[in-house]
Amino acid sequence: MTENEKEGEVNEEKTSVNRREFLNLAWLASLGFLVVNIGGVSYLFAMPRFKEGEFGGTVTVGTVSDLPPVGSDPVNHPKVKLWLTNTEEGISALYKVCTHLGCLYNWNSQEGKFICPCHGSQFEGDGDYILGPAPRSLDRFVIEAIDPDTGEVLVSATNEPMPLPDDPDVIIRVDTGKKVPGETHA
Amino acid sequence: MFNSLNFKDIRKNARDAIDQRVRAITAGLGLDELRAVVRGDPPTEKPNPRYKVHTTSFTFHIRPRYYEKGTTILTHTFRLGFFTTFFFILESITGIILMIYYTPSPEEAYGSILNLLSNVPYGQLLRDVHRLGAEGMVIFTVLHMFRTYFTGSYKKERSFTWLTGVVLLGITLGLSFSGYLLPWDQLAYWAVTIGTSMAEAAPIFGEQVNLLLRGAPDIGAGGLLRFYLAHVVLLPAAALVILSIHYYKVAREHGISQPAKFVEGDVPPEVKKESKQRLDFIPNLLSHEVFLTALGLLILVVATAYFYSAPLESVANPQQTPLDTKAPWYFWWLQGMLKLGDKTLMGIILPTALVVLLIAVPYIDRNPYRSMYRRPVAVGLGILFALMLVVLSYMGLPEYGIQTPAATRIVQDLAPEEGEGPLHEVPYDQLHAGIYTVMEDLPRDLCPDVNYGCPDMTAMFTEYNERVIEATTNEHLEDFERLPNAEAVMVIQDWQEALKKVTFRILWDDVETGERKSYEHDVYLHENRSPD
Repeated sequence: MTENEKEGEVNEEKTSVNRREFLNLAWLASLGFLVVNIGGVSYLFAMPRFKEGEFGGTVTVGTVSDLPPVGSDPVNHPKVKLWLTNTEEGISALYKVCTHLGCLYNWNSQEGKFICPCHGSQFEGDGDYILGPAPRSLDRFVIEAIDPDTGEVLVSATNEPMPLPDDPDVIIRVDTGKKVPGETHA
Repeated sequence: MFNSLNFKDIRKNARDAIDQRVRAITAGLGLDELRAVVRGDPPTEKPNPRYKVHTTSFTFHIRPRYYEKGTTILTHTFRLGFFTTFFFILESITGIILMIYYTPSPEEAYGSILNLLSNVPYGQLLRDVHRLGAEGMVIFTVLHMFRTYFTGSYKKERSFTWLTGVVLLGITLGLSFSGYLLPWDQLAYWAVTIGTSMAEAAPIFGEQVNLLLRGAPDIGAGGLLRFYLAHVVLLPAAALVILSIHYYKVAREHGISQPAKFVEGDVPPEVKKESKQRLDFIPNLLSHEVFLTALGLLILVVATAYFYSAPLESVANPQQTPLDTKAPWYFWWLQGMLKLGDKTLMGIILPTALVVLLIAVPYIDRNPYRSMYRRPVAVGLGILFALMLVVLSYMGLPEYGIQTPAATRIVQDLAPEEGEGPLHEVPYDQLHAGIYTVMEDLPRDLCPDVNYGCPDMTAMFTEYNERVIEATTNEHLEDFERLPNAEAVMVIQDWQEALKKVTFRILWDDVETGERKSYEHDVYLHENRSPD
């Protein structure tokens, strides 16, 4: 006993960690780890998951042959909240909410542009900002072209229109969970 | 046998038995003592049983035994903290009752509100009181903070109390905002969409926060349930815990602050002594609080019965955004800031800095004085801050900085898509079918054929007339506000039995292209629509 006590004193002088302190620290650290764990589990528990085909998950919008021809009116996909537009630069999936205050814009086929009914922001067919109070171009979703046989991703585009592959059977898939903010204009 | 009955004894024994039971309930106040309390007489026993209550009763142990007289001056506290608590308790009670008839699902929610309004006795009253109480709680929380700031009551030992107060402000805003969504009407849906979109502006975690809040990328069944649970369980529980800490500090540790004039500078000793005089909680303060509670309830009931009814628009439609959508009023300042610049800077960085600043106020301000005259900088900054909030809130309104085309604006102001406008205030029998054309010299009476005339409709149409003419003739307006060569009409048709269709139609030349443009808006008005 006396030897132990002496050892303890010596240790204190050296300010190294003795067994009791070490166990206390380990205990506290494990408590901290538990708190972090609970936080992480709650986060994962509360975070929504999305199935294929519902808004927030990936959506197959069809094959290349199903797409609207270049320069034609965009197609509205209300359930997954996007407009599919095909311009000369390629195909885009635009999030259907105006970047200004969250109104839903519409396609004006006479003028050939998107116009927001609330405050009059206007956008090109590929989502580029024309005029109005909106701070940036339309938000778009990540879009991919998938090889129908192998399931390989042939092309994908994040912040610009995706050039279309020639094969008409290639599947076009949109990831509505990955929204890319439009470019801010000066 | 009867001889042994002594009526004096029976009376005394019965009285003693009752007295004992009463003492058990009141934690020590006997019948005589209760009588003395109500009459304002001095205590009947020694030691003072009114003090004992504060140690033996749970509900009274969190209340102080006495206040110092100086702290009870009305113009020092304005009872703002009391009323904030009053609203919290009122909201809890009315909220629990309202939960009986409410179902938190997109299919049922709106219907349950309609049912509450039309089919439940006092349902509308309860909803109105709950809504008005929510607005009141936000207002009084903010006013309470301003009062604390201006009287310098956040210093030294009170700095932690101030911190809990800032947290309570956040919880109060959260409570009010989460409740906003529950009626599931257009107002609720789009106000909350805009509100949560502001969170989305945050870099890195903004989208995650939004997903956690809404349970989906947009508000739906999951989002409604999450908001509901936050509103009825999470936030009230958090508020109760933090409020208890906040109040315990005030009641048990440092008390309500004395006005600076009693503690700083040359205070005559007799004034100082007077300010420290004790006012017992029982009966003085208790009766005052009962009075304030009654007053608050009276004002709320009168206000909701005669002047205020909680708004309810048409059922939420995620496919259609109504014009003039705005966030709840206590977030207008944030919307105003968002108009000023970059969403990330204005929507996240500055508001976060603001919260940090608010928490840090007691630690930044090292000035030991509390009198307003001795802290001109702090008071000046406080006033500036209040003015800034007002200005920013104004800038958050849809009227500011958003270029709604003139034709849409004019018609929207007369007959809004949601809610009531001047058109809705015109009595049904004054809406005579016909075509009314906007012209320079408008006749004084629009329906000369009708012997009782149509003064209200004439007044409404005159407003329409004036605004169109102003937009046509005034060339100094901005381009979007102008309507060159406008032709405008209002057409009233008998559409069906007891239903009229009112059409506003405006034609004008586009300022830039010179093209002829038109705007048309239809409103249907039923004879039996209830005027508010």
